[in-house]
Amino acid sequence: MRNSGWKSQLTSSLFVLPYLILFVVFLLIPIGYGAWMSLHNWDLLNPVHEFVGFKNYAKIFDSSSYLNDLFLEGLKNTFQFVVFSVPLLVAVGLGLALLVNALPGKFKGFFRTVYFIPYAVSVSVVAIIWLWLLDTNSGLINQYMQKLDLPMIPWLTDMPWAWISLVIATLWWTIGFNMVIFINALNDVSEELYEAGSLDGASRWQRFIYITLPSIKPTMLFVVITSTIASFNIYGQPFLMTRGGPGTSTKVLLMNIVDEAFKQRQLGNAAAMSLLMALIMIVISVFQFKISNRKE
Amino acid sequence: MQSKGFKVFIIIIAIIVGLIFIVPILWMLATSFKTDQEAFTAGIKWIPKVFTLENYQFSLAGNSDTPVIQWMGNSLFVGIVGTLIVLFVDTLAAYGLARLDIPFKKLLISIFIGSLTIPWVITFLPLYMEFNKLGLLDTYAVLILPYSANAFGVFLLYQYFRGFPKELEEAAFLDGANKWQVFVKVVLPSARPVIWTLAIFTFMGIYNDFLWPLVTTNSPEMRTITTGIAIMQQGSFVSSPGRLMALTSIATIPAVLLFIIGQRSFIKGVTQSGIK
Repeated sequence: MRNSGWKSQLTSSLFVLPYLILFVVFLLIPIGYGAWMSLHNWDLLNPVHEFVGFKNYAKIFDSSSYLNDLFLEGLKNTFQFVVFSVPLLVAVGLGLALLVNALPGKFKGFFRTVYFIPYAVSVSVVAIIWLWLLDTNSGLINQYMQKLDLPMIPWLTDMPWAWISLVIATLWWTIGFNMVIFINALNDVSEELYEAGSLDGASRWQRFIYITLPSIKPTMLFVVITSTIASFNIYGQPFLMTRGGPGTSTKVLLMNIVDEAFKQRQLGNAAAMSLLMALIMIVISVFQFKISNRKE
Repeated sequence: MQSKGFKVFIIIIAIIVGLIFIVPILWMLATSFKTDQEAFTAGIKWIPKVFTLENYQFSLAGNSDTPVIQWMGNSLFVGIVGTLIVLFVDTLAAYGLARLDIPFKKLLISIFIGSLTIPWVITFLPLYMEFNKLGLLDTYAVLILPYSANAFGVFLLYQYFRGFPKELEEAAFLDGANKWQVFVKVVLPSARPVIWTLAIFTFMGIYNDFLWPLVTTNSPEMRTITTGIAIMQQGSFVSSPGRLMALTSIATIPAVLLFIIGQRSFIKGVTQSGIK
């Protein structure tokens, strides 16, 4: 049956071939093509693309170039969103998972579903719903603030409120996913450890710190890394909710890349920016991975 | 083990938190039945004073530049076809790599797994140019094909097939079945739960994607529901919260219902995928 003749190898290779073709055409070639584009003066409307070597990259690092502003300011804004959102995405996700797990059995499924529902909503609907809730004059949230005699907040037009609004909308939309992953990990923590902990007189809090957290560490790392990547890729929420404003203070790196590519039509510059952005993301993921492994 | 007081306390907290998740959706529904005049009037009205269906009629009438039903159809079509392609090529490749004698197998496996670390933004613009050169922008192809290169499914299924006991396959081989028959009759049925997981992940990913369909389509009839609504929000519907909320309700209700039905499998899938 496992005759390793060339004929058998050939028919076996046919299993991998369809995926391999798609992989090459839609992943491998674009990676090379993107690097190639980044070395050219690539105007979308001009059929001739002049080879410029690393000049596009040099412009990004040259503080007198507009590309430098575009990249660094976009990166700074993206970083801000990552720093505000990731700790909350992880902590609130875990908090919801603990809450669901603490519920009596028959309520668990119901509330898990309720917290997970916004995940089914698409980003443009998320943006529209939250724009309407956060509207300064007619928004539901400011109406309630007024009722409680609190000041009306310019949720989308002032800093730091614009960031807070984007983080709230993002949490509402995606937190259910992290919660499900955490619930799953919590269910795998051995019951015996908790029982031993209880016998030793550990409080609820102590059991959480000394038993739960260490047991779910791999999941924690997974959620931290995937949430960081997702937050780096943020586009729809600021594009639709704040349009990068007020000013350009929520204009994230991906928005600047898209503008440079399709508004300025400078695909060479945009490709160089994309490559650098990807590189930064890879470095951060590796860093997170290393840090979490060092503590062992 | 838990006291009754603690239980009640936890349930109350869970209800309050639940309200935070549900209120935005309820407010969308409430607004969708209001006239714009009432929507803009100060004061919190959960039940509209004048109950109107005009917003829904307007949104569903689908003017030629806002064919909402067509958009929903596009999203479903793109999601389903994209998912079927991924399932087809990924199961085949993963089984081949896990079990069959293939030249350069080790190299292929490490390239596929290595590709999982590459951020999506790297291929974004070159893929756009590729489809541009092929003349395939603004078609279903550009909305479906790029998702098929993702190695996540190959990796997920490869792990599963490696752990799958060989005896069943060997018995089938002894009965004279060939590789293809073994794959279809023995291996695939056994992998149904993992395949289902991959299907749900893939479908949600394609259905919810925003930036790619936004830049690669431009005619109104090629929009997905996500991008179509985004365009509409900036255009004709901008000053009418009632119509906007009717539109988003139409787009959201089926998705939420499907999700409530499908989420059990999704959660089961997360468990089986070994993400922990």
